[in-house]
Formats: sequence, C-alpha cells, structure tokens
Amino acid sequence: MKTVNILARITMVFVLLVSINACTTDDLDPSLEQNKLIQGGITSVDNLYAILKGSLSRMTEVNYYGRDYVINNEVRTDNCFSNGNSGRFITQATFSYNANTGYFWDEAYEAIAGLNIIINGVDLNELEGDMDYGTHLQGQAYALRALIHFDLLKQYGQQHVGGTLGVPYVTEFKGEDLLPARKSVEETKQLILGDLETAFNMMSEDYSSKVLPSKYLAKAIESNVAVYFGMWDRAITASEAVINSGLYDIISANSFASSWENGLAANSIFELAFNETDNRGSDAIAYIYRGGSYGDVQVIDEIADLYEAGDVRADILGYEDDMLRNMGKFPEIQGYDNVPVVRYEEIILNYAEALLETGGDALTEINKITSNRGASAYETVTKDDILNERRKEFIFEGKRYDDLLRTGSDIEKVYMQQNIAATISYGDHRLAWPVPKAETDANSNMIQNEGY
Amino acid sequence: MKKIALMLFGIAMFGMLVVEAQVKSISGTVTSSEDGTGIPGVSIVVKGTTIGTTTNMDGEYQLSVPNDAQTLVFSFVGMKSIEAPITGTTVSVSMESDYIGVDEVIVMGYGTQGKSEITGSTVQVGGEQLENMPVATIEQALQGKVAGVSITASSGTPGSVQDIRIRGRSSITAGNEPLYVIDGVPVVNSDVSLATSGSNLSALASLNSNDIESLTVLKDASATAAYGARGANGVIVITTKSGKSGEAKINFSATYGFSNDATDGPDVLTGAQREELFYEAIYNTYGSAYDFDEAGAKDFYESYPNTFGSDYVVWNEAGRPETNWQDVITNKNAPMQEYNLSASGGIDAMSYYASFGYFDQEATVIGSDFKRLSGALNLTADIKPTLTFSTRNNASHSYQDGLLETSAYFSNPRTTKYFMPPIEQPYLEDGSINIFGTSMPNPLWIAQEDIDDSKLTRIISNNSLTWDTPVENLIFTSRVNIDYQVYNYKRYRNPVRGDGDSSFGYGWVANRNRANYVFQNSLDYSFDIDGGHNFDVKVLQEFQKNRLLFMETDGDNFSDIGLTNLNSAGNPTAANSWFTDWSIASYLGMVHYSYNGKYIADATIRQEGSSRFSDDNRWGTFWSVGGAWNIHRESFMSDIEVINNLKLRASYGVTGNANIDLNQYQELLNFDSDYAGEGASYPGNFGNPDLTWETSHTVDIGIDFGILKNRITGSVGYFRRESKDLLLDVPLSLTTGFEEQTLNIGRMENKGFEAELMIDVVRMNDFNISIGGNIGTVENKVQELAEDINGDEINITDQTQRVETGHPAYGWYMPTWAGVDPQTGDELWYVDGEGSETTSNFNDANQVWQGGSAIPTLTAGLNLHIDFKGVFLDLNGYFAGGHKVYEEWHRYTHGTDVYSVAYYQGVAALMDRWQEPGDEGTRYGKIEYTGRPWQRHSKFLYDGDYFRLKDVTLGYDLPQSVTSMINVDGLRVFVRGTNMFTWVKDEYLEYDPEVDVSGYTELTQPPIKSVIFGLNLNF
Repeated sequence: MKTVNILARITMVFVLLVSINACTTDDLDPSLEQNKLIQGGITSVDNLYAILKGSLSRMTEVNYYGRDYVINNEVRTDNCFSNGNSGRFITQATFSYNANTGYFWDEAYEAIAGLNIIINGVDLNELEGDMDYGTHLQGQAYALRALIHFDLLKQYGQQHVGGTLGVPYVTEFKGEDLLPARKSVEETKQLILGDLETAFNMMSEDYSSKVLPSKYLAKAIESNVAVYFGMWDRAITASEAVINSGLYDIISANSFASSWENGLAANSIFELAFNETDNRGSDAIAYIYRGGSYGDVQVIDEIADLYEAGDVRADILGYEDDMLRNMGKFPEIQGYDNVPVVRYEEIILNYAEALLETGGDALTEINKITSNRGASAYETVTKDDILNERRKEFIFEGKRYDDLLRTGSDIEKVYMQQNIAATISYGDHRLAWPVPKAETDANSNMIQNEGY
Repeated sequence: MKKIALMLFGIAMFGMLVVEAQVKSISGTVTSSEDGTGIPGVSIVVKGTTIGTTTNMDGEYQLSVPNDAQTLVFSFVGMKSIEAPITGTTVSVSMESDYIGVDEVIVMGYGTQGKSEITGSTVQVGGEQLENMPVATIEQALQGKVAGVSITASSGTPGSVQDIRIRGRSSITAGNEPLYVIDGVPVVNSDVSLATSGSNLSALASLNSNDIESLTVLKDASATAAYGARGANGVIVITTKSGKSGEAKINFSATYGFSNDATDGPDVLTGAQREELFYEAIYNTYGSAYDFDEAGAKDFYESYPNTFGSDYVVWNEAGRPETNWQDVITNKNAPMQEYNLSASGGIDAMSYYASFGYFDQEATVIGSDFKRLSGALNLTADIKPTLTFSTRNNASHSYQDGLLETSAYFSNPRTTKYFMPPIEQPYLEDGSINIFGTSMPNPLWIAQEDIDDSKLTRIISNNSLTWDTPVENLIFTSRVNIDYQVYNYKRYRNPVRGDGDSSFGYGWVANRNRANYVFQNSLDYSFDIDGGHNFDVKVLQEFQKNRLLFMETDGDNFSDIGLTNLNSAGNPTAANSWFTDWSIASYLGMVHYSYNGKYIADATIRQEGSSRFSDDNRWGTFWSVGGAWNIHRESFMSDIEVINNLKLRASYGVTGNANIDLNQYQELLNFDSDYAGEGASYPGNFGNPDLTWETSHTVDIGIDFGILKNRITGSVGYFRRESKDLLLDVPLSLTTGFEEQTLNIGRMENKGFEAELMIDVVRMNDFNISIGGNIGTVENKVQELAEDINGDEINITDQTQRVETGHPAYGWYMPTWAGVDPQTGDELWYVDGEGSETTSNFNDANQVWQGGSAIPTLTAGLNLHIDFKGVFLDLNGYFAGGHKVYEEWHRYTHGTDVYSVAYYQGVAALMDRWQEPGDEGTRYGKIEYTGRPWQRHSKFLYDGDYFRLKDVTLGYDLPQSVTSMINVDGLRVFVRGTNMFTWVKDEYLEYDPEVDVSGYTELTQPPIKSVIFGLNLNF
C-alpha cells in the first residue's frame, strides 16, 4: 500500500511539473512580427497604398526597370553591344538565349499579384479611410496592370514571330485559374486598353506624382499601345489628351543634361524611384553602362556620328579610355537615379508619327523636339525621320528594340562591334523571349514560343 | 600567449588544490591473469562512492580513501570486474578477460544502451579518435568512420560548415541536415553566418573537440525513434566529458603544425600561352575577312587598339613578366596551433571536469584565420542520498577572419588565381602593392584592407536534477538547457580599390542572437519479472523554444581611409531588424524489453507539435518497433567457441521532418520593401493551411558478429527508407505572383547496404595490429511528385539538374557534349543525348539524363592501427564515389574566347584546342575573338569518385620508467598528417574532389593538407 501511495505522489509531481510547461496547440503559435496575414491584415485604404508601392518596388528590380528590361532592348539593337567585360548581356546581345532564363516574367507577375489585391482582393467599402482616394488607388493599380501586361506582350508575345499568342492576362489574386493559358495578341491588347480606360476614369487629377501612376499616365500608355499596334486614330486622341492636360513640357536644351541628374523634370510623366538607400548598387543600369568593374554595355563607335554639331543629346556620349560610353543618362554610378518609364517627348513623337500616318501636321510636332535640342529643324518629315529622331532622343532608355520590331525591321548587322554575326530577319523566333521553363514546367496550359 | 599560459596555470593550480583534501592511502598493482603484466587504465572505485582512480601505464595505482572504506571495485572494458576488500594499505588484483561480456556502452541521446541490447543502427566514435584532431569543427572527425555517412566541407576556411548526409537525401526541398543532440538535448547547429557572399561559420565550430567524450550517429528509425519527429535525416549525438571519480587527473596537450591546400587545383595558362591563344583567336575570327594569315594576327591586333586594347603591347614592352597569381594568394605553410588543459576527478559526492582550450589556425590563403577560446565545467553532485544535481557548461568565443569566397567575386582571392591575367603584376617596381594597375582588385590589397569578420560567442548550460524516488528503480529527471549564440559580423570594403571604390568605402555590421531553451521532464523505471524478463520504461516530456533576433545596418562614403566602423560612414544606407521564433512540444514513451539478454524488443512512440504548421495540423505521431536476437547467448551456441557474438536485429518505424522555413502555412503580406523612401508591402507567401509533417518510413535489418575471441567483429545491414508526404516546394505558375507553394506531396526512397569490419590481426600486450573498414551504399529514387490539374507531373528543372519520378532527386540533366568538329573546329552536342544527331547550335541540344546525382552512392572508410611498445601508428582513409560533380565557372576559365585570352584567364588544358581542319580529338574547339554565353553541358560533368588519406598519426607513449622520473603519469608525443594523399578517378576533375552537396565546384578554399606535432601530458 505504501508503494502505491508513493507512486501516486510521484505521478502527481510529474503531472504537476509537466503541466507547468506542458503545451497546448495554441502555445505553439509562432510569432508574426514582420508580416501580416493577407486575410484580415488589410484594414485601411493606406494599406492598399503600401501594396501599390510594393508592386512599384517589384518593377524596380534588376530584371525589370532596375536594369535588364532597359538594357536588353538596347544591346539587341544597333545602339549598343556587350563587350563582355563581366560576362553580362553577351547571351542577349548574341540572341543565344534559351528558356532557362526567365527575364522579367516573374517580377512582372509578382507586381501584378499585388495590384490585383488592390483592384479586387478586398472590398473597398469595408476599409477605413478616404473612399475617393481608395478609388484613385484602384485606378493607379489598373494603369500599372495595363503597363506591365503591355511590357510582357511586347517581349513575350508572338506578334513579330509569326504567331498569334499574347500573354496570360491575370486579373485576380489567387483566383480560380491558377494555370492560365495565353490570351491571343489581340485579346491581350484589348484587355490592356480596357484597363487603361478604367484607370483613367477612376484616377483623379487631384493626386499628382511622377513616381506614382497619375491620371494622364493612363492616356500616355494608351498612346504607346496605339502606336505600337498602328492604331493611329487612337494614338492621336490619346496623345492629345496628354498634351491638352497641360501638365507636361518638353525639356529644354539647357536642362536636358541636368534633367537626368535631378529627375522629376517637367517632361516626366512616370518614372520609377531610386535613391541613395533604395538602389541596385552594382546591378544598377549605370554600373553596366560605364566603369571598369562591369561596364559591359558599350556604345557602338558609329553612334558618335548620329548627332549633328550642337545637338545637346550628343553630350550624353563620352569616352572611357577608347570606349564610347553612355555618360549622361543614369549619371550616378551607384544607381541613385530614377528610371523614366514614359516621358512627354515620347508622346509628342507618338503624336507626330500618328499625324504623319493619317496625313496630319507631323512637321510641327517633330520640330518641337529638335528646337529644344539644339538640332536643325526638319523641312519635310518621313517615317524614317521620326524613327531616327526617336533613336536619338531615347537612346539608352530601352525603346529602340520595340521601335524596330513594330515597324517590321530586321535586326541588321551594320557595325563590326555588334555582337550578332549576321542580320536577324524580322520574323525570326529569337525576336520574342522564350516563356521561362519554370513556367512551362509548372503550367501545362502554357504554350512555349516556337523555336525554344 | 602570456595571458593564456597564465590562465592554464590557474586552472592547473585549481586541480592541484583539489587533490590536497584526502587522507588514507592505498596502492597496488592490477595485472592480467593471462601473462601477469600490468594493465593500464583500469578504473578503481571505492564501492558506493565516486572516489576512485585509474592505473598507470604499468598497472599501478595509488588512491586516498576515507577511513571507513570497505571495498574497491576494479573494472576495465574487456575484463571481468572484481570487487576486493580493503585489507591494509596494498590491494593488488589479477583480472581475467571477458571476451563474451564485452558490451560497449552506446550513448543514444536520451539514455545509454549496451551495444548488444541495441535493435537499431548506430555507430559511436569516441575517446582517442577525437582527441587532438586538428579540426575546427568536431563533425569532421566522423568522415570515413561511419558507414553510410557522407561528409564534405563547404569550404576549407577554418570553422566552415560541413555538409553531412546520413544515408543520402531524405527530402527534396525540405532540409536534409541531421538533428544534433548535445548531452541529451536537441540543439541548433546550423550555419551562423549572415553574408551569403563570404565565408560561412558552423555553430559547431564553437565546440572544442577535446571536450567531447563521444559522437554517436543514429541512423535508422529504431535508433532515432526517441527524436522521431525530427529524426528522418538521422541524429548526431554529442556527449561532453564528465568528471571521473577519484584523484584529480590533469591533462595538458599542445599541438603545432602547418597546413597547405590539399589539392592544387587546375593549372592556368602562362602569359606566353595566353598570348599565343590570343593571336590565334584574332586570326580565326578576322583572318579571312580582313585577309591576313596567322603570322599577321599580331600586326592586325596592334593596328586596332580601340577594339582590342593594347595589353600585350604593354606586356611585351615590359619584358614579358609572368605572374603566378596562385603563389601571390597562397599563405604557404599556414601555422595552426592548439592548447588544451583539463582536469577531472571527484571529491566526496562530487565529480568534476574542467577544461580550457585555445585553437588558432591560419587559412591557406592570405588574410584569413580562425581562433577559438573555450572553457568547460561539468559538475555532478549527490546533494542528497536520493538527489543528484548535474550541470554541464560550455562557453566559447570564436573569431573567424573570413573572406569573400564561393562565387567568382572579383575580390575573392580564389577567383584571382583563375581569373586574373598572368600578364598583370602584383607589385610595382618599388616593391609596393600594385593597387590600380590590375584589371581585377589586387588580392594583396584586398587582404590588407578589406574586412570580413565573424565572431561567435556560444554558451551552453545543461542542468539536470535526478531524483532516485522511493520506488525502487524509478528515477525522475528534470532538465533545463540554454543554448545562447551571439553572432556578430563586420564587413568593410576599402574606398581605394575594390568593391568599395565606387562609394568611397562600404561598411556593414550585423548581429544575430539566438536563444534556444529546452525543458525536459522524464521518468525512468526499470523492473524485472522472474525468469529474466527485464523492462526499461521511459516517459518524457519536452518543450523547446528558439528565439532569433537580428539587427543590421550598413553605410557608405567613409570620411577617411583606414577607419572601418560605421561611425565614420557619411551615408547610412540601411537599418534593419527582425525577430522570429519557433517552438516544439513533445511527449515520448519508450519501452525496452530484454529476456536474459537474448531477445530484445524496443517500442517507442513520440508525439510532437511544431509551430511550423497550422493549429489543425500541428501534431504528428511517430513510432518505431525494433527487435534483436543475441544468438550467441543461446545454449545451443555455447559449444561453438569460435563465435563470441552473433546478433540479428530488425526495426521499422516512422520518423518525421519539419525542416522548412517558418510561417509557410500562412498566407502573408511581407513588409520588408520600400519605394521612394516609404515602406511598402507585397504578397509574400502563398500559404497552405493543410501543411503538416513529412514522414519517413524506414526498415532496417542487420547482423552484428564477433568471432575468434572477438578478434574479428563487424556488422552487415540493409535499409530502406521511404519518405512520404514530402514537404515539397511545388512550383507554381509564375503568373500567380509566386514561385512555389509548400505542399505535403510526393514520395522518395533511399535504400542500401552497410557493412563494418574490424580485425585484430595481432593482439598482444605490447604489440597490436588492427585493420578496419566500413562501406555503405545508398540508392535514391523519386517515386511520386505533384501533378497539375491536367495530370501532368510538375518537375523541377534547371540547366544541369532535374527532379522527376524514376530518377535520383536532382539527377544530372544537361545536353551531352559530342566533341569538336574536326573540319570546322566547332564544339558539338548531341541533339537528344549520346548516339543521336549532333549540332553546333547549343540551343538545339536537348537536356538528357547523365546518370547519378551529386550525392555519393558509395562511401567507405578504412583504418589501420599498429602499436608496439608504446609506439603507435594510425591511418584513416575515406572514399566516396558513384556521384558526379560539375565544374562551375567553366564559361570563363575554359572559354575558347575572349574570357580566357583577353579579359580573364584560362586553364592550361586549353592548349589542347582545335587549330586547323583535320585536328581530331581535341578537348577544346576553335579559339575565337568573341564572348560565348553560358553553355552548361556534359563536358564539365565529372565522375566524383575519390579516395583521401584523411589521417596518419605516428606517436610514442613514453614508458613509465621515463615518466616517473619527470613525475608525470603519462606523456605522449605524436606527429599527425591530414589529407596527405588524394586520389581522384576523373582526370578532368582538377579542383578538390570534396565538393559540397550542391555538386558544383566552387571558387572556395580547398580542404587542407596539414602536418602537426603534438604533445599530450597527464599528471
């Protein structure tokens, strides 16, 4: 009996000790100090603003506007080549890429995921804060969603390689269809234009910022889309809407160089923000354009002859040793400079081109550019003049490649320094990026571009 | 050093003082009944106390005992214990062998077990095998000693993490690291370093190998069952030294030695060879278009300095000076030294072990070293007749002066060797460092100016109270363990030349504090039932909590050269901190049953809850059963004298794995983002509320044997482990905005054979030879993966590896190289693997299976021991094979283009290149003046098989006649060589074959080849 008593006492002591630090399931809940749950974590309009900035931050990543999106569309043209100093951009400049590299596919859709939370992931009426501002935020999200899908369409769509497929157009966060198929080019285009309409209608003129989407950004993107697809009437109306807003000016010859140093100039419609604490460091655009560490992207020698004497845009060029360099755009080597996405000069040149195509007065418009650059005025204007003016104006900003393709041009082998050995004809499969293998592996509804 | 010597002296004095407290003295000799010679190392204890001592080299002992002491107990492994009454001042005994009774005690973590009573698969490495190992991290001592365990160094930088795989890879995307248990408590021993771009630092580097009593590797479900929930990858049990009863024993050891790279790595081109290939490239690319012949290439080059530069013109004008960059970066005969002082003994009801150690090793590359100061104090006190208090405390401070390594960072000195052109000079004419004249930062300058410092302070305090309850054989133990790791990292990049030159200097400081608490309560009860039925029962409750606090800040634009703290940074660029925690609660029940030592059965059940899973799926139940039959103890075996041990064992059980990132089950918004100077948030985690434990189901069967008086012992075994409900990061369509979602899906199996054999060729009193070895195989196969809604399997593929059912996880998968076209000099690939059509367009060549993965399918160890009259020789070798490794960075170092001849440097093997039509069988194609993209293919995939002579030790234990003259108990001198010899199967694998689990060679420190001289003194 005694033994039993002792046993009972021991058992009690054990039970007591165990129960002191015994744990229930709830005791095992982990701390959540750096994150919030998506469900229930979004309670105010300001939370949506934070998510919008998160998507913008995705757009500043190195694969996208942080560097590669811009550089890939220069190094594959007759503006620049890769000298391979650090091994970067050789693959792209020689058009020898394959599906192992995703380029900006994942960053683009990551940004879109955040935008879709803003657009329809929560019920605006259940949030605290200013509802009008909430509506404006949703409009901003629509504008960015259109812009990003447009960027995807230009680089992954089959419009220049003989196919009809565009890209998946994602409109819901964690929606029903987690394995979306590609829309056609036409459908993708219509969805982009639809989002831009919605964006323009929802955004308010009361909010102006050049590092956030603003109301007339929607019209500016629409102008770009229209020009890209040769929808000239729509290009005219959209461009006129931007011009008539009176919010923007062409930067003057005197201010051209400094506008690259300071950013947020009068010609800026939308630019992505970089600064001393938020930058890509050695992966910045500037670091690939110059310097001895990377400095892979060199300017083709003959570009020095592109500009006439007195054209302030020639001042962008310079030499490092014997190498012709982009010295003036993205001047800060550490990558502190903002990256322009759309600037007013592009809308003017869109407008000029659309007028030319529809028999309007293109000459006046194009001379608004030359007169602000210290260049001679055109007396007559042709399509080639406009494209050449665009090349001079937007060199190193990643627009040349799209201009060549949308006008059905070959990627011509003109200069010895170009990385390609021979001309790549319009229609060659390499003019569209491959869909990344990570996508085709995970999504059996995804169709790869021909040739990859 | 002076300070250290003083401290050692202090500790020694403490030991001496302790000895003073005794009175009545007894002495005697312990001899062998076989030949009458003295037996050294016999343990003598006053019965019923912890007072005791051990015999010296001649079998003699002296012991002070309390006046009322009645009996002495003499015991020694392999001998029958003797109890002798104390009658007078001399007690001498003669001991006889007990071959059958040899039963090594194996530390299983939550307890110990006689080896014959074990139903699972375990291997223990202890004692002398761990002493005076010239290694910064203790688990290196396991290499080659345990069948089925593959160990590779992630880097040769002292203190680096060792990649350990026990029986291969059990999980595809969750962790594969074993669980570490120190003195009965699961601990966190992961990489503590913060910078992915620099040297790493193992938390185990904080432990002094001389404080370790034993390492036990638990491999199968029965052995790991006590840790079931986290035992799927095996368990490594570390036991620290305890005090031994009796007089104070003081041990002092000192080693000093030198180390060099174990392997030299590939040879690189000389300047002259590089120049020759350069002109050849110019000719091959421009010769026909610009109409010049091979001899005209030099003139063509010199006439276009804008395009080709003028490096070779400058070099020729300077008189063609050749630089061997490997010599520049090498710290030849890098010194290493270690000093340890320990004392152990017992006073009345208390025993103690105290130690102090100092370890210092320079890396074999300039500008890097590792230092550690450590101390330990383990005390056990019988505070009441039924209460024992035990505390084990270990504190250390490690300092690693690391470097930028692993990847081809321009400031990594290991990059310098393979990337820096040999036509550039390390020094200026006046003998100073050539800071600005090299194309990549000069490693001499970087080593002198830049900083990559890691400091780790770790304190482990393990405290337990054991109550021998009034119920006979019922013992209650309560234990609290605190493992506190304080890690500090400092990086500095000088503003003059290197990674900090574009921002006028860069500095980064980070701190990480880890506190890991474990609380355990357990009840042990053993009882016998008449007729030889013995039961041991254990129930245990455990709670573990881990808290991690991280802080970092960085800045640039330093105000002056030579000031390296952020105090001088003009532009703060980041401030960051975060806190995470995880916790685990468990309940464990174990029953061990033995019938007369013949029939053994084990059953274990463990329930564990983890904070990594949602409320509904938090708990998992794990279990195992095991049985063993000691056939040699059967009566029908009693006549067969040749067999001393024969045991059949089998086990089956379910173990778990929860080695995934925190909070994976939750759908989360992340906030570690900013835009335009304001905070930002983004969807960070797809989430999966159904997430729960990954399980492994393991069958293990084996035979242990000992024959001819146990002169031949060994074991043979088979295992099959099937991992189910894998914690698999299943790739999502990237259009979701996420890359993957962790799901419990998929199955994978590992199976193999393991064998160990030890033969005592000669077994005499002063002459012994033994040879031993072990071998283990493991075959890995993925059996099931996730499927998408169309029923298509979701594979994971990159440019060289793939996960697909029917193949090993991450099997090598890439285009197959088809040689060089003898007519054109183009490199060729098979379109669909060997035998198919060839193409010179790399993108037309499909990836195909190459066989094997990065994990060895066969590992083996070999050891030889010889001792003769105090002189001893030990050899230990390790073999790994059946796997393949891939040479990283070949795009540059093997490039038949500008990378090897104009921008960087190439390997000497490039000289075997195609030069003109008709050249057959060259290893490299035509050298051209172009840059080629990354093309990863089978030319750079090598057989990974290698053998390495890990350890050779030659030593001498000075005879008693000498040691007694200098008044010490024992003195050993030795010389030890590590990695003295390496054999590699594949002639093209020129980097060190000890490649980490990724399977890629890296630009990192190879393991070291070292020779150390040591002294071990007992008094």
